[in-house]
Amino acid sequence: MSDNVTRRSVLKNLAGIVGGILAMPAGRTCKAAVQNVFAIAPAPKGYDPNQHKWLMALDVDKCIGCGMCVEACKAENNVPQNYFRTWIERYVITRPKAGSGESRGETFVDSTNGGIGGFKPSLIPKEDILKSFFVPKMCNLCEHSPCTQVCPVGATFEAPDGAVLVDKNYCIGCGFCIQACPYGCRFFNPETHTADKCTLCYHRITRGLKPACVEICPSQARIFGDLKNPVPDDPLRRFMESNKVEELKKSLGTGPRVLYAGLDEEVR
Amino acid sequence: MLRTDTMPPLLKMPPQIIRLVLLTIGIVCVYFTARFFLVPPSFGQYGHYRGIALQEIAAREPYWAGRKACDTCHGEIVKKLAKAEHQGLSCETCHGPSKAHVENPEVKLPKLSYSQCVRCHEASPSRPKWLHQITPDKHYTGQVCSECHVPHQPNEVP
Repeated sequence: MSDNVTRRSVLKNLAGIVGGILAMPAGRTCKAAVQNVFAIAPAPKGYDPNQHKWLMALDVDKCIGCGMCVEACKAENNVPQNYFRTWIERYVITRPKAGSGESRGETFVDSTNGGIGGFKPSLIPKEDILKSFFVPKMCNLCEHSPCTQVCPVGATFEAPDGAVLVDKNYCIGCGFCIQACPYGCRFFNPETHTADKCTLCYHRITRGLKPACVEICPSQARIFGDLKNPVPDDPLRRFMESNKVEELKKSLGTGPRVLYAGLDEEVR
Repeated sequence: MLRTDTMPPLLKMPPQIIRLVLLTIGIVCVYFTARFFLVPPSFGQYGHYRGIALQEIAAREPYWAGRKACDTCHGEIVKKLAKAEHQGLSCETCHGPSKAHVENPEVKLPKLSYSQCVRCHEASPSRPKWLHQITPDKHYTGQVCSECHVPHQPNEVP
C-alpha cells in the first residue's frame, strides 16, 4: 500500500461512494419522471378509469369470417407477423356416419393466419358438413385473470375499467402469464421482448372511439359498450336482451368480460 | 463498549440486545430508504401496478379514424347508409384507413374494387344463412358489382 493513504483520503473516498450511491437512484427517478412526462403527453386528458366498465360481446351467428377484425387489430396495434391479439376460428362439424347412432361426427377447427384475408373453402366436402361456423377469439378480459396473478413484478394488471393491460416498461418477459392464460390470448412480442396482448384498444376507448376490431367488423358480430355509461339505444343492452349469453371455460371461474352468444358446445 | 450505568432505565438492557435493536432499526431504515427510491411514484394509484402505465398505453395514436370522423363531412352518405342493410358498416371497412384523409381532405382514398364485395359475400357453408351470398363464378361473371348494386344502399337498383 502506498504511503499517501491517510485517514482523510479514505474518509473522502468513502463519502464520495456513499454520496454517489445515494445520488444514483435519485437521478434515475428524476430521469424517469421527465421521460414519463413525455411518454404520457399524447394520452387523452380527463379519462377516469373508475368511471367506466367496459364489456365486449361476440355474436357467433353474426360472424361471417371475413377476417377484417384481425387485419384492423394488426394495423391499429402494430402486431408482429404471425402473432395475433384477436383471431377467427372456423369450426367444421361433420355428419355422423350412417348407422353410428351419434348426433354428430368429428369437429375440425382451423384458423389459417388468424383469418387474415378470409378463409379458403374447407377441404371437407359440403355434403359431409353437419354445420360450420366462425368464432372470433380475443382476450377474455377476465375479472379474476390467471395471467395477472402469476406476474412476479406487477407488470400486468386489471385496470379499474375492466381492461387487462401489460406495463411494457416493467415486464421482464418471463412468460409466466403466457402460460397461465387458459384462452391462449397472450404471446411473447419478439420486437419489444415483453408479453403482449389485446389492450381493448385502450388508446381508442380512452378517446371515445370503439376498439379497432369493433369499428371495422362489417356484421356487428362484435359489440362493445360501457356498463357504467350506457348510451341511448345501447347495442350492448339490446344484445343482452335478445341473446342467451355464455362465457368461455366458465368452470375455471375467471369471470370473463367477453360474452358470447350462439356458442356451440364444441367451442373451447 | 456501551456503558449501561449512565443510561436511562429504559435502555438498561444487555448490550447484545441493544445492538440487535439498533441493527433492526438500521435495516428498517435502509428498507424504507430503498423503497422510497425504487418504487415508482404512481405505484398503487389504482392497485398493485404503476398507475401511470394506463396513460402510457393510452398515449398511442389511433390508426383508424372511426365513423364519427366521416360523419362530420359526409353526413348525408352516413345517413343514407343507415337506411339500408349496410347500416352497421363502418366507412373504413370498405374504404380503408382514412385518418390521413380526415386530417387533410386533399389526400384521396383509393378506388374500391370488386374483391371488396366478394370478400364478405362469397358463398361458404360456414357463413350464416342471413348473409346474402353469391358464387362469383356463377353470379353475372364479368360484370362489376356496382352495375346492379349500390354499395351505400344495397336494396336499391342504380
